[in-house]
Amino acid sequence: MTEPDLRRGWFRLDAERHRRDAPRYCPACATALSLADGGSGLTTEYWAGADRVFVCFCGACGWSGDIVLADRVTGHEAAD
Amino acid sequence: MLTAEQNDELTQVAAGTPMGELLRRYWYPVAFTRALEEFPVQPARLLGEDFAVFKTPRGRFGILPEACPHRRASLAYGVVEADGIRCPYHGWLFGTDGTCLDQPAEREETNFRSRVRAAAGVAAELGGLVWAYIGPLPAPELPRFDVFVMDGVRDIGWAELPCNFVQVMENAVDPHHTEWLHGRFFEFMARHQGFDAPSSFGKKHVKVGFDAFDWGIIKRRVVEGASEEDDDWKIGHPLVFPYNMRVGGANIEQMQIRVPVDRTTTRFMLYSVHAPAGVEYPAQPQVPDYQIPLYDSAGRHRVDYVEGQDIMTWITQGPITDRTVEHLGRSDVGVTMLRRMYKEQMSAVARGEDPLGVYRDFRDRIDLPCEKNKFDSGGSFAIDFIERGSSRFSPQADALKKLHLKAMENRKG
Repeated sequence: MTEPDLRRGWFRLDAERHRRDAPRYCPACATALSLADGGSGLTTEYWAGADRVFVCFCGACGWSGDIVLADRVTGHEAAD
Repeated sequence: MLTAEQNDELTQVAAGTPMGELLRRYWYPVAFTRALEEFPVQPARLLGEDFAVFKTPRGRFGILPEACPHRRASLAYGVVEADGIRCPYHGWLFGTDGTCLDQPAEREETNFRSRVRAAAGVAAELGGLVWAYIGPLPAPELPRFDVFVMDGVRDIGWAELPCNFVQVMENAVDPHHTEWLHGRFFEFMARHQGFDAPSSFGKKHVKVGFDAFDWGIIKRRVVEGASEEDDDWKIGHPLVFPYNMRVGGANIEQMQIRVPVDRTTTRFMLYSVHAPAGVEYPAQPQVPDYQIPLYDSAGRHRVDYVEGQDIMTWITQGPITDRTVEHLGRSDVGVTMLRRMYKEQMSAVARGEDPLGVYRDFRDRIDLPCEKNKFDSGGSFAIDFIERGSSRFSPQADALKKLHLKAMENRKG
């Protein structure tokens, strides 16, 4: 197991939130995504403004997509 | 951000782990051809395992686990013979396929010899490097990427880095770092240390893009003053999965190779081919190789050249960077794409499939997409590349600059 990086310990809360909030099951086939749940997927989190984006891949069915935790849903915004 | 388990899985190299099994499906450079011509057996470490790499007088290459199957003495001190390598301890002889051919102290009538076999990999030479495959047989084809077979003047800088190879690879899908690390930071250090920083690296990124393709991920960018019609976007350059990056520009073609030696050691190699049109290339009986420096005399990272700056960031991330406490942003989408690709390909191997970039039909030359006009900076990029990159440490640095200048003159004339 990777040793925790003590020099950067002040980000521990973000790591805890990631573990708490990361999607646990594949939206397509409902297989567990996380290794901790016995799954074979991968969930990488990045931040976009106030949103938290989880880039998901399911090792069981191959589904891949982004799941976004957003505090606010906004309309009439120009698309990228 | 990843969980600790995911980071652990992503950074493993050992046999039996999903990532270690994926990595064992590929060929890796393990020695310089030059080194085996000077002495026919060399030790090599790859994916956390130790090997002896050798070249027989008949010109065949072999790679065997370093420990002799007899009593585990090192075959890297072996006696190389026409048929293979003989252990220095009791003379057991092994062929390049691992077959035990002789056990001098055993009686002739015993069948003991047929019951012992070294777990041989497969080795071959290409482009001045000796390559090895240590995964399940049959071995796939050794990819003959363009840089390893094209005409030009070859030059190989290298360094052994005390960190996991994945953080080095993540840099390859992170275009934004260029304008900061090799732009603003370079200028800052230049001001304080009294040298000239190149101007070509500091241009602001307007847009970045990533496309999965047959060999990995193509990275694209539009820098300020350029457009989507320029090479950096239209062509881009690829991360060649799982451990290379192809770069180039201004008649220098390069493969950046990041060999996972073990979990916390990466051999970084800059395999360059200088191929300007309009000049004759000098003959190279041997490809020059040279070690590039990591630290100065005070033990600080050397950051007065481009790759030294990259190396500083890779090593200071820690031996295995802790991805449970990172904070990725939208500009890091290339990093998320690469991690997903590693995971997808781990799954493919678990299903018994060949992963991305493993192929089994011989191809004489594999051309990779790579921009020619780098950062919209024209021919001056070649001189910047040599003077402010790792090539400045090459024994042929001056000759390379003259080659490019002469070619520029000839093309003008």
